[in-house]
Amino acid sequence: MIAYNSNWLDALLTKDTAQKWHKKGLLSDEKWQAIEAAYTSNFYSPNIFVRIGLAIFTLILLMAAGGLVAVFFEPNSEMGLSIFSLFWGVICVLVLELRVIQPGRHYGSGIDDMFLYVAIGAFLTGLCSPLDYTTPTLVYYCIAWPFLVAGSIRYIDRLLAVAAFVCSMGIVLLAVKEIPRLALYLLPFAGMLFSAAVYIFSKQGQARYGWRHWNGILMVAELLALVTFYASGNYWVVQQAGADFFQLETVPMAWFFWAFTFIVPFLYIFAGLRRKDRHLLDIGLGCVAAAVFSFRYYYHVLPLTWATVICGAVLFVTAYFSIRYLHQNEGGAYSYEEDSETTLLQEIEQQLIEQTIVNQPGPTPEKTESFGGGQFGGGGAGDSF
Amino acid sequence: MHEPILRNLLQQELIAPEDAEKIVLFESKKPFSLHWELKTLLYLGVLLLNIGLGFLIYENIDTIGHAVIIALIGAISAACFWYALRHRQPFSMGEVKSPTHFYDYILLLGCLTFLIMEGYLQYQYGIFGTRYGLATFIPMVLFFALAYWLDNRGVLSMGITALAAWLGITVTPQDLLTHNDFNSAAIVHTGVFLGMLLTVVPFLSERWGLKKHFSLTYLNFGVHILMISTLAGMMVLGLTLIYFLLLCLSVGFFLWYARTRNSLYFLTVAVLYGYIGLTYMLIVHTDGLGFDYIFYLFYFMLSCAGVIVFLTNYKRFIKTDKP
Repeated sequence: MIAYNSNWLDALLTKDTAQKWHKKGLLSDEKWQAIEAAYTSNFYSPNIFVRIGLAIFTLILLMAAGGLVAVFFEPNSEMGLSIFSLFWGVICVLVLELRVIQPGRHYGSGIDDMFLYVAIGAFLTGLCSPLDYTTPTLVYYCIAWPFLVAGSIRYIDRLLAVAAFVCSMGIVLLAVKEIPRLALYLLPFAGMLFSAAVYIFSKQGQARYGWRHWNGILMVAELLALVTFYASGNYWVVQQAGADFFQLETVPMAWFFWAFTFIVPFLYIFAGLRRKDRHLLDIGLGCVAAAVFSFRYYYHVLPLTWATVICGAVLFVTAYFSIRYLHQNEGGAYSYEEDSETTLLQEIEQQLIEQTIVNQPGPTPEKTESFGGGQFGGGGAGDSF
Repeated sequence: MHEPILRNLLQQELIAPEDAEKIVLFESKKPFSLHWELKTLLYLGVLLLNIGLGFLIYENIDTIGHAVIIALIGAISAACFWYALRHRQPFSMGEVKSPTHFYDYILLLGCLTFLIMEGYLQYQYGIFGTRYGLATFIPMVLFFALAYWLDNRGVLSMGITALAAWLGITVTPQDLLTHNDFNSAAIVHTGVFLGMLLTVVPFLSERWGLKKHFSLTYLNFGVHILMISTLAGMMVLGLTLIYFLLLCLSVGFFLWYARTRNSLYFLTVAVLYGYIGLTYMLIVHTDGLGFDYIFYLFYFMLSCAGVIVFLTNYKRFIKTDKP
């Protein structure tokens, strides 16, 4: 089901987990080295900068190559163009499957990412361009959906997962919007219901060992579901949507949506702290800001300057005393120590530092993988043309 | 997700049972880190507070008066510097760990408020008159001194920015500046000079063993200023050959740097800038020849394929064994 070698994916997962334990001092150096030796993965996954560079050049390459192929086929009708797009999509997928991933062993190298996006883009262009201008948006969403879902499942790609989520949500909302008369009342609840369903699905999916390789995309879905759940009931969103779609000035059941706007963020934060769930906590914090903005959009209780000063002061004091409290109560359930789990931004920062200041020749994780020069003979996409 | 992994590792006897017990205990007891969240809240708070106070002062400028406000900003700046100096670690030629959690940010805040105070003084009272060079020279010296003394890369970045501004202002004749007509040749030359300077500094400091960990900051500024200036020289000044040669040299230099210090960042950056320059040269010089666009499509396809092969084989290019 997954295009990539799943044994290698397993090896990566095991090594990552074991490395965390090693860093925390729970595993001795010898044990860690033994684990590293036992779990080898031969993926070609270069460092983030090389990945970005490769992605840029692959995109130019694919566009130029597509242009060249188009010159020889000379598709001059609309039908011809769409057939050509489909053909180009098939070519991209074939190269991706038969050259880039299998013999090339690329995994998140920028090349496989770009081939996938270009292929999906070509398929969608090919299928959507013959459609009439009057075609409802729902049709476009329904055409895109299978490609996005299949792509994110087979290539475990997070960006496609985001697109698939947005597309699914769009289908649900657009379908509900067509219900006569009731649409106005049903839309927010349809959004909430959909988000809740996705949230539960992705939470349960992440707990399943059999689905471990999809952990990343399920996590993306989980985060997005939390955001859309809140957005579905946020007063500002509901009011704006009502005004745009149904020319409604006032929102029915305003009290409910106001209550939702303010209670849900705190529920998120509370649940996040309680269950030690970082996603709930972080999205909850963001939602508090959204709630404040929504409120100020309708009621100008304070001049903007004073509101800013007070908000800033409250945030500062809260954060300052929380940090002090955590410092004084070390060893509790919460801490102010930096977590070993790094975000992408921290990763880039770390790599910048590791890469550029090489006075300490510490072995970085990628270098220990054994894909030295000889065996990697031009596995790049370049050869296939 | 860690339980099945732990079980697998135990089965394969890669982990001793007593280690596994420790890990299970750790995983169930490990504290939930609020570091990132609280730090973000703290920054947001400071930011909002600053914006709010700034506007508050702006709105009440008639009743408060400029002198008071400048004094207030100066007091904040002075307080920050006082804190930074009081809590400073002893000077060292190498890297120094910041003494407290807030230290770096307080120092940065001090530098920022210093800049604001200076700008305010100039705007309101015109203390520097038209000697803009002096206005950028003072913070530059201050920031460089603080960066080296207190070991702070953020302040160093501000110092480098001030240096760039100072050079840019110094080389641009006053009347041109006031007539809003920037002499691009002078700016490009300065850019090339500054880029080279910033690229050379880290090698000198590594030689003298002075703040070796500043290298990245210098080189990062250096590579972009140098490459962009040479590209600007090619495209804006039209002196394609000279600047193309210069670009090739700098790309070569950073490729060498990437190779010897095994830095993938500089490898990618150098390749990208080099590719832009090469493509520009090709397009400009084949413009009059009336080539078909198929030629360019072939060029892009083959050149990109070449770059991709080069980048995917970076392991061969970069000397991993060198310390």
